[in-house]
Amino acid sequence: MTATVHAPAQTATAPAPAPAPRRRKPGNLGAAATVAVIGVFAFGPVYWLLVTAFTPNDDVFRFPPRLWPEHFTLEHFANLADNAVLGRYLVNSLIVSTLTAVLTVLVSAYTAYSFSKFRYRGRRSLMSLILASQMFPQALLLITLYLVFSAYGLLNSYLALILSFTTFTLPLCVWMLKGFFDTIPNELLEAAKVDGAGQGAVIHRILLPVSLPGLVATGLFAFIRGWNDFIFALTLAGPAKQTLPPGLVNTYLGEFQAAWPDLMAASLVVSLPVVIGFVVLQRYLVAGLTSGAVKG
Amino acid sequence: MTPSPTAERRPLSDRTFGFLLTLPALVLFGAIVFYPLVGSLTTSLFEQSLVQPGREFVGLDNFRAVLDDQFWPVLWNTLVFTGLGTLAPFLIGFALALALNTRLPGRALLRGAFLFPWVIPGVVVSFAWLWIFNANYGLLNGILVRLGLIAEPVSWLGDPDTAMYAVIVAKTWASFPWIMVMLLAGLQTVPAVLHEAAGMDGAGVLRRFWHVTLPHLRGIIGIVVLLEIIWNFQHFDTIYVLTGGGPAGATTTFAVAVYDTAFKGFDLGRAGALGALWLVLLLVLVVVYVRFAEREEQS
Repeated sequence: MTATVHAPAQTATAPAPAPAPRRRKPGNLGAAATVAVIGVFAFGPVYWLLVTAFTPNDDVFRFPPRLWPEHFTLEHFANLADNAVLGRYLVNSLIVSTLTAVLTVLVSAYTAYSFSKFRYRGRRSLMSLILASQMFPQALLLITLYLVFSAYGLLNSYLALILSFTTFTLPLCVWMLKGFFDTIPNELLEAAKVDGAGQGAVIHRILLPVSLPGLVATGLFAFIRGWNDFIFALTLAGPAKQTLPPGLVNTYLGEFQAAWPDLMAASLVVSLPVVIGFVVLQRYLVAGLTSGAVKG
Repeated sequence: MTPSPTAERRPLSDRTFGFLLTLPALVLFGAIVFYPLVGSLTTSLFEQSLVQPGREFVGLDNFRAVLDDQFWPVLWNTLVFTGLGTLAPFLIGFALALALNTRLPGRALLRGAFLFPWVIPGVVVSFAWLWIFNANYGLLNGILVRLGLIAEPVSWLGDPDTAMYAVIVAKTWASFPWIMVMLLAGLQTVPAVLHEAAGMDGAGVLRRFWHVTLPHLRGIIGIVVLLEIIWNFQHFDTIYVLTGGGPAGATTTFAVAVYDTAFKGFDLGRAGALGALWLVLLLVLVVVYVRFAEREEQS
């Protein structure tokens, strides 16, 4: 499966070195200017988030604000560390995202293996069905999901969050892994069968170990999706089981809207794992997204 | 992403086993997507509360009530948010993709760095912009006042005339990086030979863009724009955290309206009716997308 919609035959000739000495000069200036302007829009808010998180309250709450920070402080991070409720949200986020990653990898590995290496009637319909599930509006589904989880006593449980996150992360993960499994030669799997391995053994002793990088990438991706989710955790979990995104909203955007530097510090902390995970993932993620998007 | 295996792929074996492998995913899909979907649509025909048991069949009353009241303003808000919230990041993302497709030094690093706004959690996007748009101490007011463009600080998110645009700015910030990555991937498949041939025929930069680059990117542009429209049409996080749908309903889109009707107004029947109308509109978009994607795949 190719990542883009274009015919690979044409791209095959691309890497021929183009002897074009100074053709690009004016273009480069325009390109640099474009990057600079959009850069201000893209990185200005990031800069401001960083500056606010490390600036003492006295300097933050003045108008007009200073663009360059004069004093430096870590007090806002200390405030976060002192807040036991935030600690609980953090633990909830870690537990829910980790278990979501594990469950997603398991389920999407079996599904992707089926789509990649088996042919049966209804296979293409199943693929469309799984992919379509990310198109349904979550607010609408939540009306009934809330009642169902409530009926089974699963409101305010990790399980409700994990099942919801996994389901909506599944489509992209299945497509990422299917791309991975497509590159594994059938001969490798068939050789194991000739040697007497059963269907289960082929999966667990050959396929999964060989695909470890793909499984890790998929798991990390599912972790990030769980970590970032807002609407499910907001609706299905009370304060005891809530994750960081709705937890931060409830903590800082309630009656007391004053603690902006603390909120910016918290924003940095929540973003950190995602940014690290993304740097690790970048290669797989871009490829997975492109192929997932194209395979409607 | 990967080269297709050269030989045609033969079925490994047992079809039943292959199908059984998808069962866990199907069970999840049935329980978390399909059953709730049918359930929520059914709710639209009943008078039903979130906090009290029991319900009463009322036919199409909920639909009548919703169409008389909320539906049209909410539809308008959703269309504005979807339209501008797709157009703005598309233009920015496309411009950036073109700029990064030149031999700019450090462009690989830049491409990664520009993804930051898209990678971070949606609520953090909202927090950052809440603070920038803040009426008393916000950065935007500070800059505009200092430049003399406004005399008094403006309550960007508190004024019904500006709130929607402020929300769209925040969403644009979070959306454009993904569009940039997709279009850049597309741009890199445009054969350099074509550009050189057109250049030798005397075509300038603009003509080459129009006659070589754009036709080549047609497929990927369609996919990106349609997916953005579908996602924006059901977007919730940024709007809900920035304004909660206010002030005075100025930013209440379908996602916010359905959520609030169900979980703040406890009126599941009305939420279901509004959601059913929302779903129909969404399905039209999805069908257009699927058709387009299939056609592109075949060509």
